[in-house]
Amino acid sequence: MVLYDDSATLAGSCSGSGSGSSSSFSSKPPPMQQQQQQDIDDLLAGAGYKVRSSELRKVAHRLERLETAMVNSPADFSQLASDTIHYNPSDLASWVDSLLSEFAEPPTYPSEFIMDPVTNQTVANDVWTTTNPNMPQVHQNISYEQQSLNNQLTVVTAMEEDSGIRLVHMLMTCAECVQRGDFSLATSFLKDMQGLLTRVNTVCGIGKVAGHFIDALSRRIFQGIGGGSINGGSAFENEILYHHFYEACPYLKFAHFTANQAILEAFDGHDCVHVVDFNLMHGLQWPALIQALALRPGGPPLLRLTGIGPPSPDGRDSLREIGLRLAELARSVNVRFAFRGVAASRLEDVKPWMLQVNPKESVAVNSIMQLHRLLGSDSNLNSPIETVLSWIRSLNPKIMTVVEQEANHNQPGFLDRFTEALHYYSTMFDSLEACTAEPDKTLAEIYIQREITNVVSCEGSARVERHEPLGKWRTRLSGAGFRPSHLGSNAYKQASMLLTLFSAEGYSVEENEGCLTLGWHSRPLIAASAWQAVSHAPAALDTHRPVQSKAG
Amino acid sequence: MVQYHHRGCHRQGNHETVGENKEKRPKFFINDHVDILIEILKRLDCRSLCVAASVCRLWCTIARNDSLWENLCFRHVSPPPTSVRSVVLALGGYKRLYMGCVRPVRSRLGRARRASWARDEVQLSLSLFCVDYYERLGGSNSNGRVVGESSPSSLMFLCKPVNV
Repeated sequence: MVLYDDSATLAGSCSGSGSGSSSSFSSKPPPMQQQQQQDIDDLLAGAGYKVRSSELRKVAHRLERLETAMVNSPADFSQLASDTIHYNPSDLASWVDSLLSEFAEPPTYPSEFIMDPVTNQTVANDVWTTTNPNMPQVHQNISYEQQSLNNQLTVVTAMEEDSGIRLVHMLMTCAECVQRGDFSLATSFLKDMQGLLTRVNTVCGIGKVAGHFIDALSRRIFQGIGGGSINGGSAFENEILYHHFYEACPYLKFAHFTANQAILEAFDGHDCVHVVDFNLMHGLQWPALIQALALRPGGPPLLRLTGIGPPSPDGRDSLREIGLRLAELARSVNVRFAFRGVAASRLEDVKPWMLQVNPKESVAVNSIMQLHRLLGSDSNLNSPIETVLSWIRSLNPKIMTVVEQEANHNQPGFLDRFTEALHYYSTMFDSLEACTAEPDKTLAEIYIQREITNVVSCEGSARVERHEPLGKWRTRLSGAGFRPSHLGSNAYKQASMLLTLFSAEGYSVEENEGCLTLGWHSRPLIAASAWQAVSHAPAALDTHRPVQSKAG
Repeated sequence: MVQYHHRGCHRQGNHETVGENKEKRPKFFINDHVDILIEILKRLDCRSLCVAASVCRLWCTIARNDSLWENLCFRHVSPPPTSVRSVVLALGGYKRLYMGCVRPVRSRLGRARRASWARDEVQLSLSLFCVDYYERLGGSNSNGRVVGESSPSSLMFLCKPVNV
């Protein structure tokens, strides 16, 4: 994929689209006429198209017009599809001209139309059937698009109108329109992009990611920022998607193994330990810890696990079921184990007394991608994150393990957030390409797609995926009274080994001031860190001084 | 190959002892010396051990013995503490640990192998094995699951895409 470098080379862009796009690209150049051989653009020739270099700009412009015509045309597409036999598509210039002549008039560009976001089809209204061309509007829209594209692109050449790159630029432009509040223009971009999507391979690569982002933008524009029914996905569904995300790629495994290593090292020498898990799900993190505790020199401690999770609607107590499974495992390996489930739909609803922490036991708090949900958009004093961090600190945990997505998806400006999300999730989808196990891969993609939708199309309290990078978490946690605890070389070694097991060769573990990050091709995607509570400062340094100290 | 010798000995021994008095012609028949057989089988690699299991019933019984697989798991590692054995047996046994975790881990890590990682390989294999056991627990216990696959899939990422 070409997103890493905005000024992607032409060769890179051509080969990138060539491998994933429609079958009309061939790898062998067609036999060329002798007299035209000098003038034929050789990059396109490598893709199977004969276009004279002098005609490139003209052909590109005509392709754009053809595309607009095809997207707006009420004509039946199947007729056009068979035309590739009649005309010679490798001679691009004449092919485009002949197809353009099929359309008798310039396309009508209705000022209103209805788009059904579910089926992504335009529902025609009466404007289609009239032959009243809104010519000024057509030209205005096209020229605006070209102009805005020209502003975005550093080098505007006709060849850069490769579908994949075009999609990306159109996505950015559409997002910018949304930020400005220009929804009608954004809608027209959406339509263009959906037309462009039909010509891009959506099974892999940029087409797939772009499709998700286009969906999310549609939701934002047409359903408002409430987010539709995305957050209404049932807890059961979420658990299944999470499980398949766990199987398909190493991010969650890395998170679990690294956190477990830190917890294991912190519990060294303690006989009565209590782990608080902020999101139990299927409890896949804990078997490995139970086994490691069973085999530690000196014998296993008494392990208590408190799992927090959403309440189950239909009377099933899913937390208890997971607890029973873990208890059975612990019994098989002779570890004394006790489980407690706390059902809460939001983490900020949990109060420390619900955890029933015994003062004699050592506590570990484990948060895998949960803390970012507490970040409200406006930083008021009673923001949930500060409340939760302060009661965590009051528990005096031996260790707090925090794993978060390494991205800046909580910026106030929509366009910045959108751009960052586009890069982040493209990288993540790239890494997912290497996974071959179905249905894990498909369901993992749905899981990621839900995150994308939340980041792009929701605002306010509906937007829970407020990822922040490691630097910001460091500041925040240090300010809340925690100090970093370095993850040791054992954790690094284990993480490296774990990654080597995955068949894809692009994963990389890096150490970042005592924290570990897992990334794809040197772009960190997930960061794991460990923290300890700073012992409480003496009362004299407290700002709320008792009155008598002020007495003169 | 040790394996060929065994086959040869076995056939030769069988052939000769049928209807013959052993005392007249003392021949060495390996199946009479099970302790030596075990010592030999203990030193085989995984593939040879599996092949040896199909030689005869006695060999099959011996090859299925978990202690042989325990040797395979810890072959290049200093002997682990005795507590490991009870844990592994509780989670499904050494043969399962080897076939499911240790072998794929070793072959995958073979590309980027460091000698100091041998012990960590086993520990990582143990952790993965435990997660696998946990998932198997879930498959058998759950009765209301809508999800089609109840077979544990947490070790699927260790399986090579093409099965030979």
